[in-house]
Amino acid sequence: MNEHIHRLNCYVENKPGVLARIVGLISGRGYNIQTLNVGPTEDGTVSRMRIDVLATDKVIEQVILQLRNQVNVIEVTSRRM
Amino acid sequence: MRPMKKNEMRTGAKALVESLEKAGTEVLFGYPGGQALDIFNCLPEAKFQFVLGRHEQGCAHMADGYARATGRPGVCLVTSGPGATNTITGLATANVDGIPMVVITGQVPLSLIGTDAFQEADMTGIARAVSKHCFLVQSADEIPETVAEAFYIATHGKPGPVVIDIPKNCQQGLTAAQYPERVSLRAYHPESTATTTQMNRLAKLINEARRPVLYAGGGVISAGAAKDVAALAHRAQIPVATTLMGLGSFDERDPLALGLAGMHGSAAANWAIRDADLILAFGVRFSDRVTAKISEYAKKANLVHVDCDPASLNKNVPADLGIVADVKDVLTTVLSRVKSAEHKEWLARIDGWRKERPMAYKPMHKEVIMPQSVMESIDRATDGKALLVTDVGQHQMWAAQYFRHNLPRHFLSSGGMGTMGFGIPAAIGAQFAKPNATVVAICGDGGAQMTFEEVVVAVEHKLPVTFVVINNECLGMVRQWQELFYSKRYSGSILSAKGRLANEHIEDDLKYDYLPDFCRLAEAHGAKAYRVIDPAKLDATIAKAVKSNETCVVEVVVEPRANVYPMIPGGRSVSEMVFD
Repeated sequence: MNEHIHRLNCYVENKPGVLARIVGLISGRGYNIQTLNVGPTEDGTVSRMRIDVLATDKVIEQVILQLRNQVNVIEVTSRRM
Repeated sequence: MRPMKKNEMRTGAKALVESLEKAGTEVLFGYPGGQALDIFNCLPEAKFQFVLGRHEQGCAHMADGYARATGRPGVCLVTSGPGATNTITGLATANVDGIPMVVITGQVPLSLIGTDAFQEADMTGIARAVSKHCFLVQSADEIPETVAEAFYIATHGKPGPVVIDIPKNCQQGLTAAQYPERVSLRAYHPESTATTTQMNRLAKLINEARRPVLYAGGGVISAGAAKDVAALAHRAQIPVATTLMGLGSFDERDPLALGLAGMHGSAAANWAIRDADLILAFGVRFSDRVTAKISEYAKKANLVHVDCDPASLNKNVPADLGIVADVKDVLTTVLSRVKSAEHKEWLARIDGWRKERPMAYKPMHKEVIMPQSVMESIDRATDGKALLVTDVGQHQMWAAQYFRHNLPRHFLSSGGMGTMGFGIPAAIGAQFAKPNATVVAICGDGGAQMTFEEVVVAVEHKLPVTFVVINNECLGMVRQWQELFYSKRYSGSILSAKGRLANEHIEDDLKYDYLPDFCRLAEAHGAKAYRVIDPAKLDATIAKAVKSNETCVVEVVVEPRANVYPMIPGGRSVSEMVFD
């Protein structure tokens, strides 16, 4: 399967350790994050992360499911760039 | 939070102990150290029992064994730095097998974090990859709520271990915070139920199947759904295969039982899955040890995968019908819609495979005990009622193959992580949880040496655990792979002085050919020790040990060249099973 850039949009609770957990799920599988943006939303207790990763559709599908399993992750969507 | 009253103020450490009581803790396994002293200082007044292990890895596996035997979270308390890092293997073991645990670690005061303080380790950073969730407490006020959340997370969705790292200043700080009555997490809502469409389709698939197989995993046991699997199997006469983690979820003495599936599973289980037209997989994750060559796996079947973990579905094997829901709910709901069936032809075919390729072994030398016979001996001595706890390696597979598993939570084994050293402490944890159970730990001589120090815990608490050490004087599973796939170069796998490669040669003027002497080691730990070499004495010795009320270590000297068969070599399909 071909690799593509996937853009993950994650809404997460604004708590310490959340970024590390999310980044760890991706880097722990040997994938490089190409771009990472983290910032607050209008609701100060929620942060938005935008992560671009080069990976196959299957890997991204699995990463998304595992991200959604995380205790502090509110929502994840993705789009192939 | 209710407004503070002065008389409700107590230290964070005291609040932690109170919270653990409220969470239902019965036994706390742990080991003290500098950054956990404030908590330890509160333990004498606690309503739960404290059990002092001898190594933090042992404490973690004890908590794990407690959880596997009961389904309730095992709780463990250790200090910072090396105390915390020693629990990592225990966390990883519980995490991959979905075992609920709460591990509390001391931490240096917040003001010292990041300064390379004495016994400082970034525990939440290290534990993140091997736990379900980690908390780093920031103030004493957070402690009661954090404990409640940790127990909630450990037991909801796919269970798993949760770490609470508590800096010393938070243990010492005063708080009036109370244990919450309800836990509500903003982002974590793992409960999910099957849709009507899914249930209709499931019932239709079952009713139309001609060659169905039920395939039950650890998720059936953690959902408490063993009886529901049996009900469905009996209603529609569906044969049942289990994973290693699923052993005990279906009575192997039942005519519908296929036994263990996978790399060392029975021919009947593997070939039934190969030729099935419907696989009903409940609470499994299709590990690579089970599927063998993925492209060949269950090619003829409609595959139904039911699991509480959405990330398990379509991970390794694509499902024709994937249902994220509680396994027990799905089984009970579908049962009323399933018509009774006989599947006579299919069951006859499976019976043919059972007769053609039964689980069997041949003695290699008349005067030497075959390791498989030890499992049969334990089965006889306990009438199949033993709560078996295994270590990892050949003996683990033989225990899976040659014991008639028939009760859930009676086969505790490190399935996913394959952690050597798990057996001894996990058996101790299980016996604390089930004081009346006949707990038998089965270890190899390799794994037994990794955590043998914990035997003293069994002895000092007068636990009647029987630790069986299957001694083949080598790391049997490693040796087997080297024999089969590495040109018989036994590098690093031979524990006796004899038989080592030249680069590992040791002078042969040693007093002993094999060290340690397990009987003297056991006696030094205060346990009753037996050594069996003669096959004729095996049954009597095992029976004596399991029936006694003492902690016993039984060293069984076995045939060193015995291999685990059948076997599907890595990357091959189930049709290429090797039988000897």
